[in-house]
Amino acid sequence: MSITRRLVAAALPLAAFVPAVAHARPAPDFTAIDADGKTRSLSEFRGKTVVLEWTNEGCPYVRKHYSGNMQGLQQAARADGVVWLTIASSAPGKQGHFADGAAAKAWMNARGAKPTALLLDADNKVATLYKAKTTPHMFVIDKTGAVVYEGAIDDKPTNKVEDIQGSKNLVAAALGDLKAGRKVATPFVTPYGCSVKYKDA
Amino acid sequence: MFLKKAVLALQALVMGAMLGGHALAGPVVNSGHVESELVAQEAGIAPGGTIYVALRQKIAPGWHTYWRNPGDAGEPTKITWTLPEGWSAGDMVWPTPVKTRLGPLLDYAYKGEVLIPVPITAAANAQPGTTLSLTADVFYLVCEQVCIPEQAKLSLLLPVVAGTPAPDPKWGAVIGKVLADAPKPAGLKAVFKLEGQALKLAVTGGPLKGADMAGAYFFPYSSKVIEHAAEQAIERGAEGLTLTLKPGYDFVGGGTPPAELVGVLATKAGAWEVTATAGEALAGASGLGPPPAEAAPGGALAGGLAGALLFAFLGGLILNLMPCVFPVLSMKAASLAGHAHEAPKARLQGLAFLLGVVATFLALAGALLAVRAGGAAVGWGFQLQSPLVIAGLALLMLLVALNMSGIFEIGTSVQGVGAGASAKGGVGGAFFTGALAVVVAAPCTAPFMAGALGYALTQPPVIALGVFLALALGFAAPFVAVTFIPGALKLLPRPGGWMDVLKKGLAFPMYGAALWLVWVFAQQTGPMALGQILAAGILAAFGAWLYGLAQARRAAGRGWALTSGAGVLAVVLALGLAGAAAVAAKPPATTAAAEASTPSGPGLTAEAWSPEKVQALQAEGRLILVDFTAAWCVTCQVNEKVALSGPKVAEAFKAQNAVLLKADWTNRDPVIAKALADFGRVGVPLYLVYPKNGGEPVILPQLLTEGMVIEAIEKAGS
Repeated sequence: MSITRRLVAAALPLAAFVPAVAHARPAPDFTAIDADGKTRSLSEFRGKTVVLEWTNEGCPYVRKHYSGNMQGLQQAARADGVVWLTIASSAPGKQGHFADGAAAKAWMNARGAKPTALLLDADNKVATLYKAKTTPHMFVIDKTGAVVYEGAIDDKPTNKVEDIQGSKNLVAAALGDLKAGRKVATPFVTPYGCSVKYKDA
Repeated sequence: MFLKKAVLALQALVMGAMLGGHALAGPVVNSGHVESELVAQEAGIAPGGTIYVALRQKIAPGWHTYWRNPGDAGEPTKITWTLPEGWSAGDMVWPTPVKTRLGPLLDYAYKGEVLIPVPITAAANAQPGTTLSLTADVFYLVCEQVCIPEQAKLSLLLPVVAGTPAPDPKWGAVIGKVLADAPKPAGLKAVFKLEGQALKLAVTGGPLKGADMAGAYFFPYSSKVIEHAAEQAIERGAEGLTLTLKPGYDFVGGGTPPAELVGVLATKAGAWEVTATAGEALAGASGLGPPPAEAAPGGALAGGLAGALLFAFLGGLILNLMPCVFPVLSMKAASLAGHAHEAPKARLQGLAFLLGVVATFLALAGALLAVRAGGAAVGWGFQLQSPLVIAGLALLMLLVALNMSGIFEIGTSVQGVGAGASAKGGVGGAFFTGALAVVVAAPCTAPFMAGALGYALTQPPVIALGVFLALALGFAAPFVAVTFIPGALKLLPRPGGWMDVLKKGLAFPMYGAALWLVWVFAQQTGPMALGQILAAGILAAFGAWLYGLAQARRAAGRGWALTSGAGVLAVVLALGLAGAAAVAAKPPATTAAAEASTPSGPGLTAEAWSPEKVQALQAEGRLILVDFTAAWCVTCQVNEKVALSGPKVAEAFKAQNAVLLKADWTNRDPVIAKALADFGRVGVPLYLVYPKNGGEPVILPQLLTEGMVIEAIEKAGS
């Protein structure tokens, strides 16, 4: 072990005292089946920026953003090499539940949604892990695997499509900060929308 | 009769017409799940005057709308006013919301009927005699399982009147009550303080003094200051209360801690707006423990005081049979046998024993009540949560055992060695035996005692002490009875050489008790302190031996002072060493983490308990058994070994995909104390089985068998 590496290793605990680092919390790893039936995990995207988007196709707040806004964000993010995971956590029998991958894909196609993958989380495992509260509820995870943004998609907590115009998109802002190598200016805004449809709710 | 009714009806009609005719309300708009209208508190408005106009909503059964802070999801109701030139609308007056749980989420909502008043001020130049139209565009999210955004365009025709307007005949009183009940500042003093992962909110002041605090809850205005879904533990005080909140993003997520914590404190006695600033806890905001459990399952005690006294007496009786009392019972047996055929002396001993038991029980209960009044969340058995007490008891047990082994004598003059205990020494010994029995028996909260003690600790001190007295009497009863019933003593064999053998034999359970306490001590402190207490044990034993040697030398008429002094010194040093070890050792911070993976037996792994963990697992629909336990609770240890660690139980757990959670109360823990209080308990053990797919837990008996556990698991899984 070289002396520099030793020094770096010795200094690592000190990183906890750097405010920018102190705020970020590690994104818990998870595995889930995607709409194609493949098992996906967060760890397979280590080294890439990842966006998590909680969805429920029946929720008016989700529909507001799937008027084009969400699809646009997905495309722009993926063009920048960002991984976008849309997660459907509605339990069986609840609004927004996808019976199978085909149902999820049919919805994606109808809406022109272009996430890297749509994960089926009907048993709420991923939602419980991330304490997902609303649809949409957004997370931005940086290349080191730290959550650098969590919360609302934008700063207009309504379900009116016309409010998208003139709102500040907080996910786009966080991705912009990451791309420019800046600290994410706004790391949290209370998420808004319908409640995630947990199975005992 | 009919005529009379008709006249009355006519009178009412005329009165109504004289008061300004119909109630002031706009047309009702039904938007699907909500019927909305505007209603006014007064029948008109004076130029430049202000009246309240309320948005009245009737929400479909099962559906809800949202408060100003909707909680974890949802959106508050919004009103956009269109008013005549020069008129203005003030802030909405939000009535206290209700908590609506959605799995792991909690929303703040309105159900049924809600009125949200808004102050409306007329232009100063409004013309009396004219009628103006107010329009409100109301937007609201209404949710059941799904959420539906709905809206309504509402209007109200409001007459401008000269002078003070009359109250609206229909809505005046209704809106008046809503305004009176709406949370307002009431001069309450409030401070908040972040203590690690707990946000303490202390509130004191007029209306809180002596109020019923059960179910008290803080609804914050900001959605970023607390975790809405977390339990809010309540601690009462003489002047108010302290709530333990789970801090949210602004406090622990990296946000900026706010200068003020503002929201609504809702209690049964009323709801008030509270503005807390950062600061140290207020005097009188704590100290009286959690409010009495509200009809806690199994905690409700039929018969109140009389029932509690009876159960306490029975509990005391049963305590004689508990495993933790056995070593002390053996001492009792030995001392009783020593006076089997001297009835008066035996009676004296019985009374002394009774006195020792009662005095110690009351002293412990008094200390417990005092500590609780001091604000600490402790329960019965609290004395064993202190490593210092455990260390002292371990050495005491060792010395008692050494004494029984004949290493040295107590309570006898040196001349009397070998001549049997004198009457005087016997009385002192019996008192001491009683005291010791209580101290060691206390953690074995016998089944009948749990309810009684839970009841006692929520009552005024006098009643609480009464319950403890009943417990003490029950505990001492068998021993005292034997000494007083003439026939009973005759049944015991005549004293003789066998007594010495019996005494020495019974020393071994005492050694066992000492070992057990050392084991508890090790759980509390760690390996370093364990080494120290073992060394202290050796030192104490050496001291006892020296002391015994001195007694023998004195009996033989030889010099004894030096040896005796050295012996006493060694014992004192041992106590000092044990004390230092206990004080120096901090409770291992890693206990909870380490406990998480401690297997309770083959194949069955207990995870660490927390209220959040229970919630999360319930959200997954899992079946949960919670084991509230402590290393110093022998009943708990026995249950774990006998009923929770076998392969059959592990199989049953596996078949139902059940989870075993362990809440370890070996060291003090206010969260566990609160959870116990929720079920009307003040001590361990407590076993809860949460059924599959949610629902209220079932309480298992305090003495478990494997079959009982398997049956409960299977029942909860079906």
